[in-house]
Amino acid sequence: MSEKTRKSKRVVKVFRYDPAVGGDGHFDRFDLDIEDESITTILDVLLRIQREHDSSLGFRYSCRISMCGSCGVVVNGNEALACQTVVANLKEGEITIRPLNHFPVIRDLVVDMDPFFKNFDKALSFFEPAEKLKEPAIISPDSKERRLIADYTECITCGCCVSSCTMANWHEDYLGPGALNRAFTLLLDSRDGLHDERLARVLSGCYNCRTELNCTEVCPKEISPTRSLKYIQMLAAKNAFKKVDVVDIEDKATEIATEVPVEAITPEVSRRRFLSRITLGLGGIIAVLIGGLMAATSLVPAMRKRAEKWVKVGKVDAFPVGIVKTVPISYRVKDGIYESTVTKPVFVYRESDSDGITVFNSRCTHLACVLHWDDNKKLFLCDCHGGQFYPDGRVKAGPPPRAMDRYPTKVENGNILVREA
Amino acid sequence: MEQNEKIQYRSPLRRGELDPNRWRNTQIGMWAWLWQRISALAIIIFLGIHLTLPYRPLIQFLLLLTVTFHVVLGLRVILMDFGIVHTKYQKALVGGLAALGIVMFIIVWMGIY
Ligand code: SF4
Ligand code: SF4
Ligand code: FES
Ligand code: FES
Repeated sequence: MSEKTRKSKRVVKVFRYDPAVGGDGHFDRFDLDIEDESITTILDVLLRIQREHDSSLGFRYSCRISMCGSCGVVVNGNEALACQTVVANLKEGEITIRPLNHFPVIRDLVVDMDPFFKNFDKALSFFEPAEKLKEPAIISPDSKERRLIADYTECITCGCCVSSCTMANWHEDYLGPGALNRAFTLLLDSRDGLHDERLARVLSGCYNCRTELNCTEVCPKEISPTRSLKYIQMLAAKNAFKKVDVVDIEDKATEIATEVPVEAITPEVSRRRFLSRITLGLGGIIAVLIGGLMAATSLVPAMRKRAEKWVKVGKVDAFPVGIVKTVPISYRVKDGIYESTVTKPVFVYRESDSDGITVFNSRCTHLACVLHWDDNKKLFLCDCHGGQFYPDGRVKAGPPPRAMDRYPTKVENGNILVREA
Repeated sequence: MEQNEKIQYRSPLRRGELDPNRWRNTQIGMWAWLWQRISALAIIIFLGIHLTLPYRPLIQFLLLLTVTFHVVLGLRVILMDFGIVHTKYQKALVGGLAALGIVMFIIVWMGIY
């Protein structure tokens, strides 16, 4: 914030909706001279517009000190409390003020928060002690519970988080960041008498978070509902196999919050339990399959003992001098109980009449792609990453680290033989 | 309630609806989320091309790039999911992991070529 007084002219566009007229609503433009931006809040701006320009402007506020949570609006695209947003902290230029998203608009900037509080209801957002104590319970400030809950009890139910969360818009049964944060603070509370019921209720409505972190970004109390949500999801993972007594929940829940329909809970709980088991089960099977496959492919070749053998390539006479010929060799290998025939190409190059027969492995020395002989270029080429080799096997270009591999070779009865390891 | 029924509400505004400033002010967390979804689609497309036209360096490059990107953003979510990193560091996570991703990318690419 600047120390100097910041005098400015600002164009303020405010969303207007008149229930008597209906329609989509529109923006009204007001030109304001602001004496000192660093001590002017959006709430001041709205009050001035109401007093000096248009007395019919509707908006909500009460405490003016970020305590009541009634003045949440969208300022320049981000949710904020009108009373806490200082004009000097906004970018230069035009200011737009809009009602919160995802709530029906009653008039101008005033929205109906009913959907928000219905979700709080569903999450049993009140404290019910497990034991009736006469003295306050003692929870040490550095206990794990207290440190995890931190300042997350500071929520003022302004609805900014839900307005910023696109998932709250797309998923009707999603409880939304606000209600879930409240549930989080209660779930962690060791005095909580409704732990299991609460957990059962929030679990059915906590999976639609996509970690956008918009809620964390906008919360005026610097709460991170995302963190609360993740914590609840972890509780869900921990409790995946815990038996939740459905009948019990039903009874207690009706007793406690009669207004919330009970049918909504029971099928959800069993469905959730079913789904979490299926997910875990499938996950397990896939993990075992992949793990097994990886172990098999990496260990088995190392364990196998293969007798080395001499494999016939062809008659010496079939290879004219000075020419590279590609021929397939094939032989049988035995892997444990499994026997198969391996067929692969090799390159044969005969330098002179008498001897000097070279048989190259057709695998590229880079990442083992199969090479091919290009008779026009007189080069061995690799398609994978552009490796090139001279007829004598030396690297001409590309990433291969060394010359082509050669087979140990011998000639017996006019036949060329190579040794396969 | 009775009174409410007489008032004609405007249906809830959506994010960005009638809001010229929304996208300009979209925060990094949401971009990270959006780009991870976009990179997922890109991977499907590049993987398809890669399988039909193998060994084209350009395609390999793009595929590796999108995969790296996707992995980096996915790791970020996993770290927060399990409470390993506090969500208040989410912005630093994007930058830090992106840097790590670039380093990994270079190492892998140099390894191939
Ligand atoms: S969590 Fe933050 S943004 Fe959400 S309702 Fe509470 S105070 Fe408002
Ligand atoms: S982090 Fe989750 S709850 Fe928060 S805005 Fe994103 S999707 Fe919504
Ligand atoms: S007026 Fe109470 S929070 Fe802004
Ligand atoms: S495998 Fe041949 S160049 Fe990479």
